[in-house]
Amino acid sequence: MKYLIVGASSGLGKELAKKFAEENNDLVIVSRDERDLNAIKSDLETKHKVKIDVLPLDFSSINEINDKLLSKNNLLSNLAGVMFPIGMMFDDDNSNLNTESISRLINANYVSIAYTIQKIKKILIKKENTSIIGFGSVSGFLGRDINVTYAGAKRGLESFFESMAFDDDLKKANIQFYTLGYLATNLSFGKELILPKASVKKLSNIVFKNRKVKFKKTYYPMYWMVVNLILKIIPFSILRKLKFK
Amino acid sequence: MSKQQTEKRRLFSFDKSFSTNVIFSQPDKYKLLEKVSYNSNNLINIGSNLSYSPLGFSKESLSINIRSFDRILHFDKKEKTITVEAGLTLIEFLNFTLKHNLWIPQLPGYPTITIGGAVAANVHGKSCGKHGTIRKSIKSILLFHKTHGWLNLSKEENEEIFDLTIGGIGLTGTIVSVTFELMEIKSSKFTTEKKEVNSIEESKKFILDESKDASYTYTWNRADNLINFGKGFVYKNYLDKNPSDFHGFKEVKRKFRPFIFPMWNKFSINVVNFLYSKLNKLSKSEKNENFLNVIFPFYGNENYFNFFGKKGFIESQLLISEEKFESFIEEFKSLFKQFEPTITLFSLKNMNGKQKFLRFEDNKICITFDYVNNKENLLFMSKIDSLYDKYDIIPSVIKDSRLSKETIKKSYNEELISFKEKLCKFDGKRIYQSEISNRLEI
Ligand SMILES: Cc1cc2nc3c(=O)[nH]c(=O)nc-3n(C[C@H](O)[C@H](O)[C@H](O)COP(=O)(O)OP(=O)(O)OC[C@H]3O[C@@H](n4cnc5c(N)ncnc54)[C@H](O)[C@@H]3O)c2cc1C
Repeated sequence: MKYLIVGASSGLGKELAKKFAEENNDLVIVSRDERDLNAIKSDLETKHKVKIDVLPLDFSSINEINDKLLSKNNLLSNLAGVMFPIGMMFDDDNSNLNTESISRLINANYVSIAYTIQKIKKILIKKENTSIIGFGSVSGFLGRDINVTYAGAKRGLESFFESMAFDDDLKKANIQFYTLGYLATNLSFGKELILPKASVKKLSNIVFKNRKVKFKKTYYPMYWMVVNLILKIIPFSILRKLKFK
Repeated sequence: MSKQQTEKRRLFSFDKSFSTNVIFSQPDKYKLLEKVSYNSNNLINIGSNLSYSPLGFSKESLSINIRSFDRILHFDKKEKTITVEAGLTLIEFLNFTLKHNLWIPQLPGYPTITIGGAVAANVHGKSCGKHGTIRKSIKSILLFHKTHGWLNLSKEENEEIFDLTIGGIGLTGTIVSVTFELMEIKSSKFTTEKKEVNSIEESKKFILDESKDASYTYTWNRADNLINFGKGFVYKNYLDKNPSDFHGFKEVKRKFRPFIFPMWNKFSINVVNFLYSKLNKLSKSEKNENFLNVIFPFYGNENYFNFFGKKGFIESQLLISEEKFESFIEEFKSLFKQFEPTITLFSLKNMNGKQKFLRFEDNKICITFDYVNNKENLLFMSKIDSLYDKYDIIPSVIKDSRLSKETIKKSYNEELISFKEKLCKFDGKRIYQSEISNRLEI
């Protein structure tokens, strides 16, 4: 079996690569820096009997996706699934962010994922039981003052994954979407957060276990489902006055 | 720098004698390592922070921890070489190499020590009388330095920086990966033999004679009072000759969490030593032991350190020549009589190697003492410090957090000057600085 992991060089992506390789799956791993990808490749190929292909590219650029990923037909043939544990964030992502950065954030966190899925759909539906796994963020629950565009893109991505459930072409595919709370990764490093950071190792085990489930929309950690419910009940006029990180 | 890449933390030296607030960063990508390094004026590297002295942090420096760099980059079973990233811990390292009946024998006593920390401290294991320090297993290093960038270090390339980096206590830059020459190991099971001894002289004779045929030879001696001083047991560990299958070590998270009140005092040490001696006398003189118990004796016995309480302890590890050993011990005993220090651990092993720079390494006897951290003991230790010159003793900078600039200057002499000069030549701005390097004015 072979899986494509976009955003595999650190955090959840790195942990997913570890888990899927441990379970003897070949991988195509995508991230910006070749050095990180090569280190993961060597490690996993040394420890397990798997083949890892690396594709260094900037996932916020559709051109790079076309040139460096979608053109590699032989790499993408026979995929058993795709995962997008990718999250691009900018420190200055507030409501005044410049359009170039907005466009990069929207691309990396939403458009490029939707585009890649569209383009490799044909490969994915050739086989039964292929998995398409996306990751959202609790930051998409509510409008906010930081990570504004990131949150918007993640909200859009969730809607896109829901829409895939209505796509007849994807009837045989397994579509899963995880809305992620605070994870113990470098993205949350140094941040003072209101709830604890959850383990990416545990999450990668869950993702692996669920990979054959037909359609799944869930939260990790699960208590974020309750938080979401509460936020839905409280009128926005009150929520506006509370400040969320 | 982005606030997201750093965190404020309060860090303690392992012996608890020093603590301060620091800025801490844990890059998980090559680019981020470069970025955090470029964005700070002063830096220092930190591994698992298991050094007894504050070597991996300082109030003024950003501590860079590369624990996320924990991958195996290359393995050649035939050539017996491995390249690993410096954030890998020893137990993770062994979990891979032992599967192939390979290892490095210079392993310090705790499994979560990182490769980077081990190389930067030029660590040794129980078999240092035979295998020396980790320096002997290092083929090459990949270093990242804020101004010099990426450097390959080996005997063939950048030899001087290679030499400065091994045992260079993190002052030459960030060790990102290390290539080791591995040794064959047929079995990961040990047989331990022990013998009772009645004096420190007998212990010394044992470690000098026996380390010729047994790799792991060390002693446990009493120092709870003058009457029992030097009595104890000598141990030899042999690797089993019969090959055994290795099934991997399970890493159990254990905590060093000092008790609120210290449990070690003259009385408790006396009782524990008495019981330990009795138990040793009653048990068989030969037994089978598993790998972790032999190589990482404190793994599972963390309470030994927790018992020191919040004030912690001070370890003094000394290298002394065979010839000067007896007269030093005599003088030690006479000061002991006068000051009655509270000592929890006293042990000897043989060491082999060549002293250079700040490296704790020589063809000498290695003596270890653990002291309760109190005024009386500190006074006693300062008296012992004054003997270093007379007996050509080298104290360990990694272990003894209290050592003064003057003491180190006297005992390391030319080697300290040479280390400092070469380091300044390489890095005129002296970017990488720790609490210890500041104190010692390196
Ligand atoms: C229970 C216990 C038993 C021990 N037994 C032994 C023993 O038997 N023999 C022995 O020799 N030592 C022993 N030690 C000491 C220990 O081996 C050293 O202090 C070692 O350096 C700790 O490694 P660390 O990963 O915790 O590194 P830290 O303590 O965090 O750092 C140690 C030094 O390494 C540097 N460093 C760390 N990572 C890097 C890097 N990537 N690049 C450059 N520099 C780096 C730091 O700047 C610092 O100077 C023991 C320690 C404990 C707690």
